[in-house]
Amino acid sequence: MNKSSEDPSNIAQGPVGPVGADTSLEDPNDDFRLVARAQQGDLGAYDLLVTRHRGRIFAMIRNMIHQEADAWDLSQEVFIKAWNALPRFEAKARFSTWLYRIAHNVVYDWTRKRKLDSVGELNDEIFERERIDSSSFTTPSGGDSPDHTMAQGELRVKIEIALGKLSPEHREAVILKDVQGLSYKDIADVMECSIGTVMSRLYYARQKLQTLLKDEYESR
Amino acid sequence: MNTNPDETKLALWLDDELTGEELATFEASFGNQPEHLAAREEVRRWRKMMREAMPASEEPPHAEFFSARIARSIREEVQAVESEPAAAQKKRLSWQGWWMPLAACAGMAFAFFAGQRVQPGPPEIDVAGAPKAIPVEPIVYTPDGDVAAEWFASSEASATVIVLSGVDAIPDAMDFSETAAVPTEREIDSTAGNEPEGIDPAGL
Repeated sequence: MNKSSEDPSNIAQGPVGPVGADTSLEDPNDDFRLVARAQQGDLGAYDLLVTRHRGRIFAMIRNMIHQEADAWDLSQEVFIKAWNALPRFEAKARFSTWLYRIAHNVVYDWTRKRKLDSVGELNDEIFERERIDSSSFTTPSGGDSPDHTMAQGELRVKIEIALGKLSPEHREAVILKDVQGLSYKDIADVMECSIGTVMSRLYYARQKLQTLLKDEYESR
Repeated sequence: MNTNPDETKLALWLDDELTGEELATFEASFGNQPEHLAAREEVRRWRKMMREAMPASEEPPHAEFFSARIARSIREEVQAVESEPAAAQKKRLSWQGWWMPLAACAGMAFAFFAGQRVQPGPPEIDVAGAPKAIPVEPIVYTPDGDVAAEWFASSEASATVIVLSGVDAIPDAMDFSETAAVPTEREIDSTAGNEPEGIDPAGL
């Protein structure tokens, strides 16, 4: 089992998202301590890690595939795979970034399998679907007024529809950068590509989204 | 003077990712250019809109069950790994157990075939001289102690007669149809009763 020996303060820090529910990014040292215990077989420590990160992983996957039930199952798979791979985690990146990378692989494996399963069924809408899961969350957290909450919920649905029109790579770049708040370097690690590629994908993805959401974007 | 910054540095600056000395160097050269400042404001506005509408973290439904299920799966995997040597041994045994009946059957077939070839054949038995089957006397039971019963069997007539002694004489007036199950005409003729009552089937 590995123990974290690298100074966590040297690890690149990405911008932190505005949602305060997740505290894992506020003190990555806690993650490293819990990871070290989990690597020794402490299931209780790993349970704490799951609790800290499940919200972000679930949100990322759900935004990628737009299906809540499948997102739930895939999030489970991410944490089980992470446990099995924990002995190989070397603390070169933050634990959350490492989890995003596993989530990235799980989602793409799932997508490939779905495409293989749907060969001949004229079902090419795994990522390109415009319909939104009827159980989608349309209510952002926070103590906003009902009107504001409803407006945000409507905007979210429009953004999700627009995201559904992007390629998987462009969609993931936007979700990781503009929703999850990862740095370019972390996104490159997660998507296993260069920073330049991330910048290119993000540029074109934002351009297309801003075109699709022209009315909403310009009214703000 | 170079007015075109490195694209990578510019993208990092637009997304507020430059820090420390890199940020100071960049802003000293390009940070006052209106188009860059406007572009950065545009990116900030975009990110703000996205993050307000799309929460970065959402608890999965039934969050406690979510975590408990992961813990259970991990425990099961750990137990499976710990019992792997025993499982491997068991697997070997089950493999042997699967082949063992087949091997036994093959051995028995071979022994039978070999025995057929080696032995001269079974000895002849004179069936004519074999002892006859012993006839078994039937047990005749009468519920009344004053009544005696005898039975006679005739293989030639294919009949068995039972004689009861001590039974009162049966009166001639006795109607056996009241005590015996005699099939009715309807039961004998399967077509009986198909016609409605009161109509003569012959049309008479």
